[in-house]
Amino acid sequence: MRFTGTKTRSSATAPVRRQLTRQMPVRRRTMTRMIAAAALLATTALGGLTAGAARAEDEIRIGVIYPLTGAAASTGVELKAAAELAAAIVNKEIPAPAGLVAGVGMPHLKGAKIKLIFGDHQGNPQVGSTEAERLITSEKVSALAGAYFSNVTATASQVAERYGVPFLNGESSSATLTQRKFKWFFRTTPHDDLFVTNFFTFLEDMEKKTGDNLRGIGLFNENTLWGNETTKLQTKLAEERKFTIAEKIVYPAKTTQMTSEVQRLKAANPAVIMQSSYLGDAILSMKTYKELGFLPKMLLANDAGFNDSEFLKTMGKDGEDIISREVWALDQADRNPLIRQVNDLMRERSGVNFNGNSARAFTAIAVLADAIDRAGSTQPDAIRKALQETDIPAAGLIMPWKGVKFDANGQNELGQGIIVQVQNGQYVTVWPFDVATKPVVYPMPAWDGR
Amino acid sequence: MTTGTMTQSRKAIGAVALLALAAVLPLAVTEPSQQNFLILILMGAQMGVAWNIVGGYAGQVSLGHAVFYGIGAYTSTMLLVSLGISPWIGAVAGGLVAALFALAMGWPCFRLKGHYFAMATIAVAEIMQILVTNSDLLEGAVGLTLPMDRSGWGALIFLAKLPYYYLILGLLVLTVAVAWAIERSHIGYYFRAIKDEPEAARALGVSLTRYKLIALSVSAFLTALGGSFYAQKEMFIDPGSVFATTVSIKIALIAILGGVGTLLGPVLGAVILITIEEYSRTLFGSTGSGTDMIIYAAMIILVAVFSPSGVLGLLSDLRRHIGRRLPGGTKTAKADKLEVRP
Repeated sequence: MRFTGTKTRSSATAPVRRQLTRQMPVRRRTMTRMIAAAALLATTALGGLTAGAARAEDEIRIGVIYPLTGAAASTGVELKAAAELAAAIVNKEIPAPAGLVAGVGMPHLKGAKIKLIFGDHQGNPQVGSTEAERLITSEKVSALAGAYFSNVTATASQVAERYGVPFLNGESSSATLTQRKFKWFFRTTPHDDLFVTNFFTFLEDMEKKTGDNLRGIGLFNENTLWGNETTKLQTKLAEERKFTIAEKIVYPAKTTQMTSEVQRLKAANPAVIMQSSYLGDAILSMKTYKELGFLPKMLLANDAGFNDSEFLKTMGKDGEDIISREVWALDQADRNPLIRQVNDLMRERSGVNFNGNSARAFTAIAVLADAIDRAGSTQPDAIRKALQETDIPAAGLIMPWKGVKFDANGQNELGQGIIVQVQNGQYVTVWPFDVATKPVVYPMPAWDGR
Repeated sequence: MTTGTMTQSRKAIGAVALLALAAVLPLAVTEPSQQNFLILILMGAQMGVAWNIVGGYAGQVSLGHAVFYGIGAYTSTMLLVSLGISPWIGAVAGGLVAALFALAMGWPCFRLKGHYFAMATIAVAEIMQILVTNSDLLEGAVGLTLPMDRSGWGALIFLAKLPYYYLILGLLVLTVAVAWAIERSHIGYYFRAIKDEPEAARALGVSLTRYKLIALSVSAFLTALGGSFYAQKEMFIDPGSVFATTVSIKIALIAILGGVGTLLGPVLGAVILITIEEYSRTLFGSTGSGTDMIIYAAMIILVAVFSPSGVLGLLSDLRRHIGRRLPGGTKTAKADKLEVRP
């Protein structure tokens, strides 16, 4: 009779159940099950009780959504540390570095404190929107920041748009985010299209500087979405800016052989190669270049593999003089005392230097705090208006940008990427020239001259 | 026989009461984030019930249901974004595309049995995710954004939470109704025969492939409707959010946790799983130490260890246990016994 119920259940679990029943006395089994059920209920009830915690009136609540668990958790934790540093500076918990624009002390809000309330999106867009909704409606935040992943930023900012709450994104680079005509979405970081555009501007600047002709370019990109998108954009920009594409190669991302591709590049002999590769293929391509004795005047890498910490470890001296794009570089601290000071504070608190992601997360909170202070109110409308009026000069930032000023779509129009070059085993900023710490080594020395 | 009818009518009353409760629940729960939480539960329940048709009744465990979910989401969204077709039509179109895809996918995959079938479904879902990620037509990894300016019942886009709640409640009722109809029809008995004794079923003249295909395509159709709802609610889809392996796992987990092959087991599974998921994250997620995930996983392990037939199995065992002690309790046990006999 006891087994009548199992008929409707999965046959796969039935043997297990039978075994369990034989091994355990009926009462004990039911007892343990009841304990399990009780544990379940207890957690649920506990959750219900503490979800809406009490809050002080004189604090400015900002919701911050990052991937704090899951595959990108280590990045998320870095971003969180950077955002907390910014909040600590705004709240005068630590002395603010002179010149930093971050609404320090909130003078227009009678010295109110900002409080960051973190949400974890786990790298999942639906969790991102759920967290945004929770932060807006139950935590009553005045503004949102985050979310690093472009797809999560897309869903979370959409919730903010519905509720009419400002969303400041500091780290997502998908160009489409600011093409949505949102009223409440602002982005401080430059986007992907701008990074590619930077390459062409850089080449034009180099032509002026050296008097050389750098119009013949070779495109050498891997074939996943990123490489394909980059190829499309580069082809379009090359045409617009009157560059000639001497050779265009899209190779399989996980290739183990690049000889024929590099031979084609060598035959076309472009002055410049623009390359998008992940780590493995970046290393393989460099080895193949060396084997075949080929190097262009300049090798422009599109971040990723060429900026991986493993890349220089593996390549050693053969990685010298490669040029790549970046959003931030530590040598910026040598140029700008403000960056040095803020970076020192970061290292004291968290034991790590800033990187491109954490520097941008810090900047997002600083820009948001500045806007809230200028708004003199925690009303979303006032904050939005203050964000639209934002005009922060380069000197008030820790980023190598021309400043922060949002266009009609909410995109910071003064943002720019930087171009770094490997010199003596370090990535040093070589462009834009006004933020460069070292001159460009040009042309790349040939393999036999190294 | 009379006890059987009585149980039937009692169950019907229970179902109506449950539905009435669900219908008035948003009157009590007015905070949008709490309403959103209820919507997430209903979404999970709908996916679980849909999965259960093929994974529970027919016993063909699919770990690739994200493929149908994604097809549903992408079909209705593409039709809305590029041709301006209402999601009411788009969702049905998505369901049909998913059902056709299920037929095409099931035909070779059902040649495999048990674990091998499950592995094949994972592979199909992965391939689909890669294809969509690299598709220019579908905007690849960039994803599709739904137009926010078009709100209302025509475009199924709302600023408030309430319409979404009733939409998904309706969809869940539809899904449960389909599952209930199948459970009671001869097809349902065929499904269970295929699950328990495929050789015997075949010997009795039940075409295994045919009925497995029916189970998979009905399940795919309903799962795709759920996918379309996801797109309408989140207003942004990309391959990583609707074709992801985690979606497939979650769909299967909800049904397995609640009770495989039972009508309302997946609903209970969704209530428990989504509650644990949401509250553990709300409480511990912001620490960044992964506590929420540990609690989440521990809860699932607890259920798996103590109640391998799902929480519904646990509850019915408890009821029987208590029933035996009470006078007249044996009647309930007998009624249960009568009912499950085909």
